[in-house]
Amino acid sequence: MQLESSAQRPIIGTGASELGGSIKAGSGKKFDRKNRLLIYNRFFKIACIASAVFVCLVLFSILFFMFRTGVLTFQDVSPMTFFFSTDWSPENESYGAFVFIFGTFALTLLTLVISVPLSVIIAVFLAEVAPKWLRNILRPVLDLLVGIPSVVYGFLGLTILIPLLRDLTGTNMGDGILAAAIVLTIMVLPTISRISDDAISVVPRKYRDASYALGATRFQTIFKVIVPAARSGIMYAVILGMARAIGETMAVVMVIGNTPQLADALFKPTSVLTSNIVMQIANVPFDSTWNNALYMMGFLLLIISLLMIVLVRMFQRKGAQQ
Amino acid sequence: MKLFKSLSVAAMAIALVTSSVSVAGASSSLSGKIVINGSSALLPLTLQAASEFKKLNPKVKISASAAGSVTGPQSVRKGIADIGACDWDASMDVPGFKKFDGQVANKVAIIPFAAVVNKNVGVNDLSTKQLQDIFSGKVTNWKDVGGSDADIILVNRAFGSGTRVNFQMKALQGADFLSKGSNYKEVKSSGDMKTAIETTPNAIGYIDLVYVTSNMKAMQINGVAPTEANVVNGTYKVWAYGNFMTKGQPTGAVKAFIEYIQSTKFQNGSLKKLKFIPLSAIK
Repeated sequence: MQLESSAQRPIIGTGASELGGSIKAGSGKKFDRKNRLLIYNRFFKIACIASAVFVCLVLFSILFFMFRTGVLTFQDVSPMTFFFSTDWSPENESYGAFVFIFGTFALTLLTLVISVPLSVIIAVFLAEVAPKWLRNILRPVLDLLVGIPSVVYGFLGLTILIPLLRDLTGTNMGDGILAAAIVLTIMVLPTISRISDDAISVVPRKYRDASYALGATRFQTIFKVIVPAARSGIMYAVILGMARAIGETMAVVMVIGNTPQLADALFKPTSVLTSNIVMQIANVPFDSTWNNALYMMGFLLLIISLLMIVLVRMFQRKGAQQ
Repeated sequence: MKLFKSLSVAAMAIALVTSSVSVAGASSSLSGKIVINGSSALLPLTLQAASEFKKLNPKVKISASAAGSVTGPQSVRKGIADIGACDWDASMDVPGFKKFDGQVANKVAIIPFAAVVNKNVGVNDLSTKQLQDIFSGKVTNWKDVGGSDADIILVNRAFGSGTRVNFQMKALQGADFLSKGSNYKEVKSSGDMKTAIETTPNAIGYIDLVYVTSNMKAMQINGVAPTEANVVNGTYKVWAYGNFMTKGQPTGAVKAFIEYIQSTKFQNGSLKKLKFIPLSAIK
């Protein structure tokens, strides 16, 4: 069947069937080379599509299951209470998650305020200032830093950073949003600076030459020409760093204090979405509103990180157009 | 680490002893599968008992895991597990958790707890009333309980922790915990509690007696030091039974397994080595 149909087809075929077209039909057996190729091609195509479908399926089923359990929260709690009340005491039936939502955004913002300027300066140093041998050492070092497990950062934060903060500022505890932001900064610094470094490195040489030709100093060239030219790449790096900061759990849970109160001071123990979920999920009764509320918080985290990825895509496209 | 070491040493010793025993006594006809879930504090005990029990009854399969105390009785209710390890008696109401109807608590061990403070704290002894005041936030400075002038840093376990439930029932006699404040924080596990108390000056918290190290100070409560001897002679009251919850009275392999844990041989052998206190120690 197959042999006949492909023999009748004109030689200029389309897609996968095109590949076997130039090969002679040989002895005409069912399994000659041409047919084998056709089958392999088709099979490979199906395998590729199946893999792609599988990935999408996984993503959507995660979203679906988180949402399905999470949305049950609103049977017992009004969305207004869940999103805007600051009273989280599940043992007394109050499920206000605003503390955690606010905490997540405040922590991410604070992390970015500290880490972005630092990372950009590191990136500029790597791409523009450092001699080649130093660059060749520093780049692999930063790549290695990305791979350190977050619990290690958390432990160092707990045993070194917090006592240090306590000594420096004279506070009683040191736990809080500042300690968490510093730990996260150390974690995202390599990510942001390495990707920014790549973005700065690919700025065309003619931009620099033109800038110098106009009499600009090195400082002016870097901050008026090169960094703006690499802007979309740097934004991409920042958003990737931000996504990592938002989703980070283990490092944060060890230094933030885990207390459901609004983070209105740098040194007040507080809690964020991730740390609250991991603190409580092991101890909640199944099928309780509490459990559902934790799922809802997980769903929120997912949505936030999906939005980040959409943003990353937008910046990538913008960068490509330039 | 120390616990892990002693556990593995104990496991090796038991393996050596029982391998010879099981050849002789392998006539057991018990078979079946036992699924155990629940308290992480009881897990070392469960695993040790399981490996010994399997030697004696090769046809019985035991799988044990741990998430948190409350998941034990919940898994039993849902039928996921045959035994739910729980740090409290889940057949009765406790602060924060309703009783689980139709479940039977099988006592397996005695777990003592201690109120612990950072080494810089000058206070050695607290009364129940003082503990209640400190943990409810009424007393916020060490000078009010006989120490130096410094803010009290309260370290608490998260709601739902078995240690928290027991400490609240036994040491605070049911009094409420503080849950907010700038000198208050919660930690996720006994290990985190240990680190927090050791590294935070003026901190107070509570922990299983097994976890108390020389880098922290265990408080006397009402003048009694938290030692195994004082638990046994009945003067130190802050301890609780570790329970295996079952749906109704245990039967078959489950019953045999629980009886094995409660047996004098196991209680005075491996259980003691893991630093739990045998049931028979308290009349």
